[in-house]
Amino acid sequence: MKSELLKLDDHSRRQFMMGAASATLGVTLFPGLSAKMQAAEKMITGPGTPGFGKAKNVIFLWMSGGMSHIDTFDPKTGMTKGFSDPVKAKAEGIDYLGGYLPKLAENANKLSIIRSMTSKTGVHDSGTYIMKTGYEPRGTIVHPLVGVWASHFLGRIKGVTLPDSVVVNSGSAYPGAGFFPPSMAPIPISSPESGLQNIRPTTSDSMFGKRVELMNEFDSAFRKRFDTEDVKSYNEFYDETMKIMKSEDLKAFDLSQESADTRDKYGRSSFGQGCLLARRLVESGVRFVEVRMGGWDHHNTIDTAMTNNGTTLDTGFSALLLDLEAKGLLDSTLVVLGSEFGRTPGINENDGRDHYPLAYSTVFAGGGTKRGFTYGATDKDGRRPADKQTTPQDFVATIGHAMGLPVNEVVMSPSSRPFTVGDKGVPVVDIFA
Amino acid sequence: MIANATVAQAAQKINELVAKGLVRANPDRVKNGKPPITQFNPMANDEQFVRRVYLDIVGRIPNYDEAMAFIKDGNPKKRADLIDMLLDSEGFKVHMFNYFAEMLRLKDNLDQANLRGTPYINWVKEQVAKNRPYDQMVHEMMTASGKMWHNGAAGYLLRDAGMPLDNLANTLTVFLGTDVACAQCHDHPFADWTQMQFYEMAAFFGATSTRAPYRNETVMMEVEKLVEKAGLDMRRIRNGIQTYMGANTYVVRDLDKNMMMLPHDYKYKDGKPGDPVSPKFVTWSSGDRSNPAYKQSKAKEEKLRTSFANWMTHPQNPRFAMTIANRMWKRAFGAGINEPVTNIDDPDQSANPELLKHLAEEMKRVKFNLKEFMRIIYNTRAYQSEATTENIVMGEVYYFQGPMLRRMGAEQAWDSYMTLVLGQPDAYKAPLQDLYSKSIDLNLETVDAQTVLMKYDAYRRMAQKERELMGGGLEMAGDDSMMMDAAPKGAEAATTAQMDGPGKILSYEGMRLLRASEIVQPAPGGHFLADFGQSPRDLIDGSTSIGNVPQVLMMMNGKAQQMLTNRDSLVFRTMDKVKDPSEKVERMFMTIMNRRPTLQEKDIAERELSASGEEAYSNMIWALINTREFIFVQ
Repeated sequence: MKSELLKLDDHSRRQFMMGAASATLGVTLFPGLSAKMQAAEKMITGPGTPGFGKAKNVIFLWMSGGMSHIDTFDPKTGMTKGFSDPVKAKAEGIDYLGGYLPKLAENANKLSIIRSMTSKTGVHDSGTYIMKTGYEPRGTIVHPLVGVWASHFLGRIKGVTLPDSVVVNSGSAYPGAGFFPPSMAPIPISSPESGLQNIRPTTSDSMFGKRVELMNEFDSAFRKRFDTEDVKSYNEFYDETMKIMKSEDLKAFDLSQESADTRDKYGRSSFGQGCLLARRLVESGVRFVEVRMGGWDHHNTIDTAMTNNGTTLDTGFSALLLDLEAKGLLDSTLVVLGSEFGRTPGINENDGRDHYPLAYSTVFAGGGTKRGFTYGATDKDGRRPADKQTTPQDFVATIGHAMGLPVNEVVMSPSSRPFTVGDKGVPVVDIFA
Repeated sequence: MIANATVAQAAQKINELVAKGLVRANPDRVKNGKPPITQFNPMANDEQFVRRVYLDIVGRIPNYDEAMAFIKDGNPKKRADLIDMLLDSEGFKVHMFNYFAEMLRLKDNLDQANLRGTPYINWVKEQVAKNRPYDQMVHEMMTASGKMWHNGAAGYLLRDAGMPLDNLANTLTVFLGTDVACAQCHDHPFADWTQMQFYEMAAFFGATSTRAPYRNETVMMEVEKLVEKAGLDMRRIRNGIQTYMGANTYVVRDLDKNMMMLPHDYKYKDGKPGDPVSPKFVTWSSGDRSNPAYKQSKAKEEKLRTSFANWMTHPQNPRFAMTIANRMWKRAFGAGINEPVTNIDDPDQSANPELLKHLAEEMKRVKFNLKEFMRIIYNTRAYQSEATTENIVMGEVYYFQGPMLRRMGAEQAWDSYMTLVLGQPDAYKAPLQDLYSKSIDLNLETVDAQTVLMKYDAYRRMAQKERELMGGGLEMAGDDSMMMDAAPKGAEAATTAQMDGPGKILSYEGMRLLRASEIVQPAPGGHFLADFGQSPRDLIDGSTSIGNVPQVLMMMNGKAQQMLTNRDSLVFRTMDKVKDPSEKVERMFMTIMNRRPTLQEKDIAERELSASGEEAYSNMIWALINTREFIFVQ
């Protein structure tokens, strides 16, 4: 404030009064804080509202490339149907699923589908970013993933030696921790088969111990001389990493602990095995696991592509739901499926479908959601939401709500800009039981 | 080059200003419970200095011979000589490029389909190599036209094609130290920026287009016929051909109409949504309007961004010289005089206003020659002091009693590993710098179907060849076809590289042994560089120097440490030149830490040697590269 007052006599610059008034009243700070939002703050979300905080863990299935809504969770019978006939879903609140998903149709009584998603961007990168953070990408700041927001508000789960969040099937967790400290970023696991990289010493345990001891001896003069926070935080990372190396929970990353039968049930794809890894991590206390599955950018020959990808998804997703249910984890674990956008209702000249953000679907299961429920709908050809339009911000806020996060609480970034979980999105509470 | 006497005088003037600032800061220090400072930190010793100055100027630690040569040198002006030598070496260019790569968010693979930043990257490398004055380089980036592979400088605007407002916010932040990102969407809540002012600045680029109209229907129909005649399935390649042609639509052009208007949700009283906006330069103080930088003649629409560039890079622009001077100072000391370097709201509120203003004047005096500017800074007593040992909390103002203790950047750490493996990492360069530029170009105005198909085929074969030769980085690791091309045998390998000329690349278990600047920008996930915090190049100065679990796992158990503790490594071969174990230990310390072991460390080494025999050396190498002392720059 000091510098601003010093410049009061400077007429060529901003009229101070205008700025001060708006800053004091918060007008420019939160221009989107509409009446609807204020109502939401009072009634929709928060302790005691349906589903709030029921999801202790989240498994986030990310369909990278833009999953066709019509061929999966919002099937049509008219001119935009595509190459496969819908199958009847075994659930009271869900009519049909796409013909490529027979197993999920069989288990539809565990799903809550949002069919009225709509977004503004048909570009992969920004579409992905907005669905995972609730914010449009900016060249000037990085926003945190939902799982990192959870770590911020809820802290680390007590007694767990593993990290708070993990991303499976990727070498990068971007956008990761966003403006929160980098130590909160998910740990990226590039393949479920190889798990966490470099967890074993390249020598015997005893020699490793000796090396660590030598390291500490050689480094002692330096650490004494530079007793600073930066150096100490590195010492902590080394301690923490060695703890993880010794952790019993590390077995969670080791799929060979599962029977061949279980592994087969999930499908021997990186997605199927990723789902299995996610279940193991959740059992060991990891709060937020994202499992990525690529290959959804079906511009060409979508029938063949869906036959492959659909089967992989169908197998992995349904095995995950059955397994979580059998282990009694489904009520406390929210499984969410999302993608950056849908695909065009019309089939293109290459027998494929192109990017289509105006209408698409997301799926929720477990974690206190209704079993066998459809929220919203698109028009008869799947071109526009017919009602209950839901944005990526609402989607992110819904996950935050299920995890018990104060989605309306404003958090300032280190650069002093205000942010909330899901950028003022409104949780879709109708999907919670 | 400025005569050395002048450098010494210039450095002396800076010392005086820093010293004054230290004294002035004392009341504040005492208030915060810290003892007053009466002088600079003690002079860094030769061992500390040689390691620091190599890391700062050429981006890597010195090898054994380089460190020894400096330490043994009895010449009283050896520090100034070493600085001169390093500033003229290949390593200076590489490390300066790394700095710009992070500041300008340089990427090989841009988000736009098929569009690569490689030609722009190569252009920046060329500018750095010829030490192009910074103001001229930036001016060209603002005003360049055409496709990126015809004019690398056009990459600056194409980097953010389709996002002109973000591009402008970045321009103001990077080059003018003026962070106005907030004003893109509303009046800046904490500084004196209105949304209108932001749009007035954006209007200088309102007549600039980054995308050419795309008409390919007739050509595509022809292509289709040819493909069918050849018995191929058009449905499988149409998308590829379309994005191939699409890359050719990214062109910087000037239009004769300014398209800039207020946004659809504009809510202030000084304008309505959709109103056209006229360009207007922002000012930082009331005197600015009479500043010569502001005397830009009223330009035609097509010349608007030239006016902008003239104003921005003008020596008298109130922020341009100061911003780059402050950035360069931070490179040497670990903190800017004004923090953050991206937002110099009021120079008088900085740690040392006199010094900041003086450095801006120095930058103008050396005519934006960054090499000369850095030569002066590295020759200051302030820089040549020991690193400060006290804890500096986040946000605390720093007054430059010496450089701060800094963690190596990802590139410095990786390039230092490369020095431990290769000795002279600059002898290895990536081949095939830019096959892409040669095969991507199409003239969309005149191209016919036959040419599209021929060139598309050539492009695909190029991409194939590139994948085989360049690999994708470490994500390829574990693949049997990517096993070691050659054992990393330092001196011998260096000879090979000399004989074969550039292009001979060594690798170790899929890690390509090249400096960070020669690897894909930025390195892919899972690479040492990524784990170590290299900027993903999405944000300005986006690197991090904070640890994380995968990074430490990589340091302790990854391939890089395995390579260095391997009996074939250059560290071992340097040790093998002497017989006596204690001499071997001395060489090991000098190679890795660039200093001799202390008496206590010699005892530890002796104990370890008698306990573990030959394995002791690998154990000690592992221990040293895992110390905090190794990764922090004193």
